[in-house]
Amino acid sequence: MKKTLVVLLLISMLLPLSLFAAGTKEAKVDESKPVTIEYWTHEDLARTELENELIAQFMKENPNITVKRTTTSATKLIELVQTAFAANQGPDMFNLPIENEYAYITNGRVAPVDYKAAGYKDKNDLIAKYMDSVLDTVTYEGEVYGLPLELTNWSIYINKKVFRSAGLDPEKDYPKTWEEMADVSEKLVIRDGDILVRRGFDFRYPYYLTFFVPMVEQLGGDLLSADGKKAIIGDEAWIKALKFMQEWGPSGRNLGSPTYKNARLIFDLDNNDIAMAHTGLYQQGRIEKDNKAFFDSREWMVVPFPTFKDAVRDVAACYYGHFFMVNADSDPAVQKAAWKLAAFMLAHGEDYLTRGGNIIQPTKALFESDTLKNMPYSQVFIDDMARAHMVYYGEDSAQIQTQIRYAVESVMLSGVSPEKALATLRAGVQEIIDER
Amino acid sequence: MGNKKYKGIEKKQARWGFIFVLPAMLFFSLFNFYPILNAFYTSFFDKRALSRRAPKFIGLGNYERLFRLSTAGNPLSFYNSLKATFIFTLGTFIPLLVMSLLLAVLVSYLKNGRVKKFLQISYYAPAVLSSVVAATIWMIIFDPRGLGNQWVNTLFNTPGVDHRWLVDPTMERLSTMVIYFWKYIGYFVILFITGLASIPPTLYEASLIDGANKNQTFWRITLPLLKPTVVLVSVMSMLQCLKTFSTQYMIYTNGAPRAAINVITFNIYVTGIQEQYLSRASAMSVVLFVLMMLLTLLQFRATKSENVDY
Repeated sequence: MKKTLVVLLLISMLLPLSLFAAGTKEAKVDESKPVTIEYWTHEDLARTELENELIAQFMKENPNITVKRTTTSATKLIELVQTAFAANQGPDMFNLPIENEYAYITNGRVAPVDYKAAGYKDKNDLIAKYMDSVLDTVTYEGEVYGLPLELTNWSIYINKKVFRSAGLDPEKDYPKTWEEMADVSEKLVIRDGDILVRRGFDFRYPYYLTFFVPMVEQLGGDLLSADGKKAIIGDEAWIKALKFMQEWGPSGRNLGSPTYKNARLIFDLDNNDIAMAHTGLYQQGRIEKDNKAFFDSREWMVVPFPTFKDAVRDVAACYYGHFFMVNADSDPAVQKAAWKLAAFMLAHGEDYLTRGGNIIQPTKALFESDTLKNMPYSQVFIDDMARAHMVYYGEDSAQIQTQIRYAVESVMLSGVSPEKALATLRAGVQEIIDER
Repeated sequence: MGNKKYKGIEKKQARWGFIFVLPAMLFFSLFNFYPILNAFYTSFFDKRALSRRAPKFIGLGNYERLFRLSTAGNPLSFYNSLKATFIFTLGTFIPLLVMSLLLAVLVSYLKNGRVKKFLQISYYAPAVLSSVVAATIWMIIFDPRGLGNQWVNTLFNTPGVDHRWLVDPTMERLSTMVIYFWKYIGYFVILFITGLASIPPTLYEASLIDGANKNQTFWRITLPLLKPTVVLVSVMSMLQCLKTFSTQYMIYTNGAPRAAINVITFNIYVTGIQEQYLSRASAMSVVLFVLMMLLTLLQFRATKSENVDY
């Protein structure tokens, strides 16, 4: 009896191990046979509508290819894709922000672009079709590993009505510097005691790599040294930027805080909650969808990302990209089909811009098109993009962003001095880059 | 002969017993044993989530890093996670235990069946709510413009004061404790009600005849006979509190600072999922496992749990 029990226990413990071992085997698919592409992407209703239409057309033109499109929230997708890849069960095609995707390239998890399958003569032909240096981000050891689904930067949206209600002229009084941003916000703010009933502007927490690092750069600081070996360059700049955030928060001038509702989300509602929000061209589609009357009223406008009064560099908020990538472990036939699908969808750049979520695909054709030029305030975004650079996208970008978040929020919310927060930040980021 | 036949039946019954429990054993080993063993094994390597390279064996390197004294001052260190976990566990599981017992006794003493059922459902309702719904409710309450400030300011006549529910480290800890307490109190109340129902009513009748009042009945009969349930609930609530994750995650994703609520499970999530250090996260989970085992053993020893005979 005891023996039976021991044997059964052993079997029950070892069986799962054998199941996991068997799970890593992959079936080979003949290229000429029907293939199925598992495509994972983030939720965006407008883009879903367009892509479903494009995928249906693609499958009609390629009857041997079936596309299964799965969506989930942008934050969840980052974790899902990573967990799936860690278990060797990643999707055939996916997109993520580049700061999350870059590690897939350096770890050999994604395949280089199949230029022919994507409809290009060669690598140079592909690069020539895109804006200068956009593909550098996904070029590794001489190969290109992704095709850009979108390139996004953020400028400042203004609700003109709120400005006027505070006696300000939005066209003249909009903030050009961060110091003005704080002063104008002070005029716009409505408080009930300590509680902010209406905010002038609030930051895009917690995307500190995108907006805070450029603020530091304006003051002459840098995240890393040129050789990438030393963390946190230019103490004075970092401390000044941290002091600005400290003053912004509830312990300072009390103009905003990460614990209030996301400014971008409430901007669309036009409920006298917020005067300015930091967001991308895509917001226009969202305003139109959430509040058509406000969108049509044109009581909103877009102005450039401010700089500090004594800025030594003119840097706007970073732009970031989502790139289509293809799983290197997928069957070669599936990989080819996936690159073909990616290129097919990206050939409809103007559709993505106008009805696919107002996203910009950085092709030369789109940047030269009247469609982009005629979008309201598109020139503000294009000009800000020219002043900006790609967000820091190293393998460790998520870790570094966590450290910056801690530094900024500890001075804003927990009463930590900027000097102490900077010392902790430096130690944390240095440890991360030393561990590479 | 008779003995032989008896053994045969017993064997046959035992075999069927094994067949019935086998699926559960398989399920348990697949989803519990394997991850535990795998986490323990992985903790001795340097394994990154996306790396294709064979993980390098580093022995106790991950454990050494977790307990490196030079990191003790770092607010995001493992030491700070241990501290955050202990504060949360002590601040939550003791009120959970005491309040769930008191509420269960209160419900049991009620004579009106409808009120009794209503209270049972009310206490238990939060436990069945999804985390997303719970998050939405509490974020509406803790928003600086939300109900939390409005209620407290009305109650204490302090108009316009922001109580910084998700900003101040102490308030942030308190907020997580309140949410957790709200979500799980009903579950433990139900456990206590079940325990109370198992106490034979004849004992209460006898005590009534002997002239015991309600206070004496509670301390001399209810509580001693409820000891196994008290031990069960205290162990379960302590383990639940040590494993807390979703409350802290929810608050953090809504803009609250991390240090005060960086409990071990949350640190495991950030280290393993966001930062991709699977082995380091595994080492943290092994430490948590050992901690849970030790505290459970300690609790069993302290309470010397044994069956109660009525």
